[in-house]
Formats: sequence, structure tokens, C-alpha cells
Amino acid sequence: SAVSSDRLCILADTREISSGPEVISCLKSTHGVQVEICSLGGCNYIVSNRLCVERKSQSEFSNCTNRSKLAERIQHLWNMFDRVCLIVEKDRVKPGEISRQFQRTKYYDSTLSSLISAGVQILFSSNQEDTAGLLKELASLERRKNTAITVPTQVTSHKQEVLNFYLSIPNVSYITALNLCHHFSSVRQMASSSVDMLSSKGQVSRHKAEEIYRYLHYQYDPQMLQAGDKRKHHS
Amino acid sequence: MATQEGTPIRAGAAAVPYGHVIGSDKWRGSTLAQLLQGKIKLMFEDGLGLVDFHLSNRVCVLYISETDLVSGNAFKRRLVRFRKASNLKGLVIAERTRLSEQYFPPVQNFVALELGMSLIPVANQSEAAQLILCLVHEWSREGGSNPFVSKKHCNLLDNVVLQTVQKIPGVGRVKALQLLQTFPSLQELSNASLAELEAVVGKGMAGNIHKFLTKTT
Repeated sequence: SAVSSDRLCILADTREISSGPEVISCLKSTHGVQVEICSLGGCNYIVSNRLCVERKSQSEFSNCTNRSKLAERIQHLWNMFDRVCLIVEKDRVKPGEISRQFQRTKYYDSTLSSLISAGVQILFSSNQEDTAGLLKELASLERRKNTAITVPTQVTSHKQEVLNFYLSIPNVSYITALNLCHHFSSVRQMASSSVDMLSSKGQVSRHKAEEIYRYLHYQYDPQMLQAGDKRKHHS
Repeated sequence: MATQEGTPIRAGAAAVPYGHVIGSDKWRGSTLAQLLQGKIKLMFEDGLGLVDFHLSNRVCVLYISETDLVSGNAFKRRLVRFRKASNLKGLVIAERTRLSEQYFPPVQNFVALELGMSLIPVANQSEAAQLILCLVHEWSREGGSNPFVSKKHCNLLDNVVLQTVQKIPGVGRVKALQLLQTFPSLQELSNASLAELEAVVGKGMAGNIHKFLTKTT
């Protein structure tokens, strides 16, 4: 296996290279975490088979014009992961800039309240270095619960094609697709397996495995496709 | 004061009337209490034990002051006792000030990560009051309106299935449609024999598809 058992593994989205370079370098150098940069499609970090982490700057988080975007993002994450964590990170003060006092608004508190009530875990970070520490803590906590990422994250040729195939299944996350890719010997074996097998090989909840199973057995109807196309053209 | 009248609440109980907050007696006369009063029906009770405020039947607040944070680990024992004794959702509000700032990261690791409780920093009691009002509002409104709860989608999957089939190398939309006419589900397509595939898309393509589906990853 490419992942040695004593080293934590975290998947980071390609966009984090530019928006959180210190998070990634700090994870690697200070915490000795194996960070794999992948195109995660709408999530910042994956720290275990079931937990994803979204990273937001305090100013972005406090801006009420971002509310619907944030809601959409969190709902998207809930569709793919059992657990969702949001790290609110203080904005970096650029050299020569005066640090502005953070104005805590009612919007900020009501958003926090709604997120907590929705079951999102919220963590607060002072800077990128701090965020790296939190990600590492989350990953080691998940390892203690036996949900750590253990499959190799690098895939080549045929595996990459199969991975893309699995990624097209609705609400299947990058780590679930990787698990399916490594734990099933072929697409045929995966497509013919039971809910229990999908759950144990994909490292997903029974509920999620049922969703995948239903998709694999969904009876395609060209009539429905045309109806869908027509609706799209009319709108 | 409202608290002089007998409240319908059992001592330390979780039965909070709609639109009310039950506060521990020790908060009587505090800045926080004064800011809450008038905006919400705040009642005081003694004997709440470890809890500072009950916001609803399910949710309560444990407050960690700047002094608690700076003066050691007593608050940790209190939180652990709460977790062992209660099934209520405990929200921890902690005063993160210039003085207590340095203690916050390890406290967050302990409260949020080790104990799995929600921890929200505030600068002072005035910020705590606004937060508590928002929390009460959140837990008193009807379910279903929270924008951060996942919604059940019942999209038509036909177009999505078509997309998945096109992930097979070399298969475009036309070939994908042909395949799905004969093998209407991904499970059936994946189990098609080489001969069955050849009857639909021709020899070379059938071979590629069959290889993709059966090749060991």
C-alpha cells in the first residue's frame, strides 16, 4: 500500500494550492501528513472516508451576500459525506494593511446557529497554520475511529478511467470512488455486488450504499431523457 | 420580576416552554441577563447544576468565562461531567479575549474534537447575548427551513446514467444510447457478454467496452 500505516493522509482540492498554500505546506512539514492534491469537485479537504472539511475566511463567512452559495455548498457536501466540518479562518493581514476589527453581526450568529443545528461541526482558526493543525487533529481522530484514508491515492491508466466512471455516480465523493476503485477487482464486480458489499468496500454507510445500488439498477428510459431535454430547452 | 411567580419548570429540568430561556440563578443581574431580558422570556432557577441556560427541551448552553479559561482545568471536569450525565445537546460558549486567546486552541481541541461538543467563541457577555438569541430563534422555529440541512433530491436519473456510460473510454453519446436500449441499467450493461456487446456496437468497440468492464483494477 502506498499509504504507510503511521502516516496520516489528507486529500486537498487543487484550488487549495493557491488559496491555502501554508495549510498544505504546514500539514506536510510540521505535521508529517501525506497530502494528496486532487480535483475534489466542490470540497476543500477530505480527511477520512466520511468527513470533509470546508475552509472559509472569516470575511467570506460573515458576508451575507454569500449565504445562498454557502447553503448550496453545505447541502452538496451533505449529499456526499456523513460528516461535514467548516473551519472559519481569520483573514490574513497583508503587509502594510491595518488589521480591521471584526464586526460581529446578527447574520454571523444566526448562520452559526443554523449550521450547528444542521449538524455541521464548526471550528475556528487564527491562520492557515492553525487550520493545518485542526485538519491534522481531525484526521487522527478519524483514524482512531477506523475511518482513516488507507487506499493509495495515486491511480494510473486503467484505474484512472475506472475512477472517472465511479465519480460520475451521483453523490459519490472522491474518496468513495477511490475506495471502490481499489477494493473491487473490476467494474463488473462492483456493479453486480450487494448493498452490504458496496458498503464495506466503498467504506460508506448503508444508506449511501443503498443509493449507489439503486443507481446501478436504475432502468434507463429514453422517453424520460427526452422529456428532461425538452424541459431544459423550454426553460 | 417574572421569577417571583412560580415557574412550571422542574428543578434542573429540560422542559422549556416555547419562546423561553431558563437561566441558572447565578446569572441573575448579569450583563448577559440584562441584554436577554425584554428580547426573550428569561426565567431563573437554581439547581440547574452544570448548565447555565436551557434554550429548548434538547439544547442547553454551558458558559466558560475568561476567568474559567485562564484559571485552569476545572471547566474541563465540568464539561466531562455534563457529557456523562446528560443526553442534551450542550453548546459551549467561551469568552475568547485578548487575555484568554492563547488558551483557546487547546480548549477547542478538547471541547470540539475530543468531546464532540459545539464550541463558539465570544468576546464578552454582550456578544454572548446576541448569539444566545440567535440560537433560541434557530431552535424554536419549525423544522425544514434550515438552509444547511440536506434536501432530498428526486431528479430523473436517466440523463445521469447516460453520462456514466459515456465515461467508458471511446463511448460517445450515440453509442451510449445504443447500449442503454439493449442493457437498460448499469448492472445489466456491466454483465453483458462480449457476444451480446458485439451485437450492439460492433466488434472493436465491444472488445474495448468488455475489457473496461472486466479488467482487474
